[in-house]
Amino acid sequence: MRTAMRNWLVGVGLVAGLYLLGPVIYFNRVYPFILGMPAIIFWYALVPVLTPVILGTLYLTDRAQNPKGDE
Amino acid sequence: MGIVIAAAVIGVALLTVLGMASGARESRSSLAGWLVNRRNMGPWLVWFLLGTEIYTAFTFQGLAGYAYAKGGPVFYNVALNDVAYSLGFMILPLIWILGKRFRYVTQADFVAGRYQSRALGMFVALTTAIIMIAYIDLNITGLGAIFHVISHSRLSVMWSDILGFFVLATAVYVGGIRGNAWQSVVKDVFMIVALGALFLVFPYHEFHGFGPMFRDFGKDLGPVMTLPGKTKNFGLLWLVTTVLMTGMGQWMWPQWFGVAYTARSPRSLKIQAVFMPLYQLVKVAVIIVGFGALLVLGTHQNGNDVIVILARRLLSTPFFAFFVVAAIFAALVPAGPIIMTSASLLAKNVWAEHRPQSDRRIYRATKLLVFPLTFLALFLALGAPSLLVAILLVAYDFIAQLFPAIVIGGLFWRGATKYGAFWGMVAGWAADAALLLSGHGVVGGMNAGFAALILNGAVFMIVSLATSKRISPAEHQHFAVLYETHEDPARTV
Repeated sequence: MRTAMRNWLVGVGLVAGLYLLGPVIYFNRVYPFILGMPAIIFWYALVPVLTPVILGTLYLTDRAQNPKGDE
Repeated sequence: MGIVIAAAVIGVALLTVLGMASGARESRSSLAGWLVNRRNMGPWLVWFLLGTEIYTAFTFQGLAGYAYAKGGPVFYNVALNDVAYSLGFMILPLIWILGKRFRYVTQADFVAGRYQSRALGMFVALTTAIIMIAYIDLNITGLGAIFHVISHSRLSVMWSDILGFFVLATAVYVGGIRGNAWQSVVKDVFMIVALGALFLVFPYHEFHGFGPMFRDFGKDLGPVMTLPGKTKNFGLLWLVTTVLMTGMGQWMWPQWFGVAYTARSPRSLKIQAVFMPLYQLVKVAVIIVGFGALLVLGTHQNGNDVIVILARRLLSTPFFAFFVVAAIFAALVPAGPIIMTSASLLAKNVWAEHRPQSDRRIYRATKLLVFPLTFLALFLALGAPSLLVAILLVAYDFIAQLFPAIVIGGLFWRGATKYGAFWGMVAGWAADAALLLSGHGVVGGMNAGFAALILNGAVFMIVSLATSKRISPAEHQHFAVLYETHEDPARTV
């Protein structure tokens, strides 16, 4: 239980961190263009794609801990 | 325009008939059946249902309008849902386990059970039902904006909203109770196709492609796309506090909290948390179109209208008719569950709690409440017309105040008491009202709702500690289900 909770909090921290610290640290700007997009648009197009990867990893660790889990 | 109006009328009629077909079965099975029987949905159905309920008129029109009116601060909304999904990954399964064990079917049942207080349950039911009216308002305003644009402004904003009210209340009353699976699928597919088409056509039609469009954005919009954009004080601290507050608030909406009770297993809820974020890409596309509207339409348009105006300008008439139908569905289909959840909270958790009633009578009362509740929302829409996002943000300021009582006290901290929960919420709502009514949506760079949430959390802790007594056996039971019977709640099925 404790590990599951810890992993979950790490996942929440990663998702929120990417979304919020990204612009705070660097991406709240127009230039440079990345992949042809203004930096801020690039960032907010990238993180929605990374989020399923982070939560998917969380899901897999979660399932590995409970192999007998339901369904 | 005749063809567009005809398509809209036919679309609404078909959608209502689709709802009626399933509604006939549902009404026989009564309210409790309607709410509980559904604890049997697999991950994909939950995904569609949630997708339908979370991505509404607001996604269609409000986001483009906000990007158009405010610029960069609009990105808060992309972050909001994903932070919420990551929180929901654990919160929703825990709520599911408790719901299954203690037969909760609404959020108010959960609160009443956790704090062993029927009065607190009634209080939460009543207050959340009122806050939900703001969400109904959102869909009326969305429908109104569509009617306003397709009538070429011949229908004034006020009459468009009134028409929106009639269409919405009638469709929900006659047809849909919970949007049935087919309504959800049709609405999601229409919405994604319509917005996808607009997103692809727009850059080529107006800018000769994506590259030139983004170059023009850089040259002509520049800092408008960043924070604080066109606003004075929606800076980075505002972004952080808004996303945290709304992210915590999302699952506090009773209609989405209730989704936790529709899943077959906790695992369904975890799987949907992984895939829901993909819907956010639709939002990014809408935001880009909203920015582009600044260059194409100038700055004098009403924000809510821009996406429909662009569609009218860019798409041929048959495609525009399709777009309009999709936009109407995006407002109508999610509104059913929202209005019905609000009505059923009042009927089941307030009225019937006060004086016990048969399921049949509760169900009838729920349906009778559809018109008055929707009418209140219309009243709000006419009295305080504003951008869709502004309505949504204010509503979030209030709904997020449930987080300490429900998540911290409900799932993690057994020392919380009903007094702490009650006074925390009251303090949060009072602070919200005081700040918002005095025009302080932003305090010290922070979102006002976040500031209120901090106050709420502090009051919640202090009062809980001051009133703590021996934890009752029933409350012990509540946490034992989560933490003691099994080493991992995800396994408790």
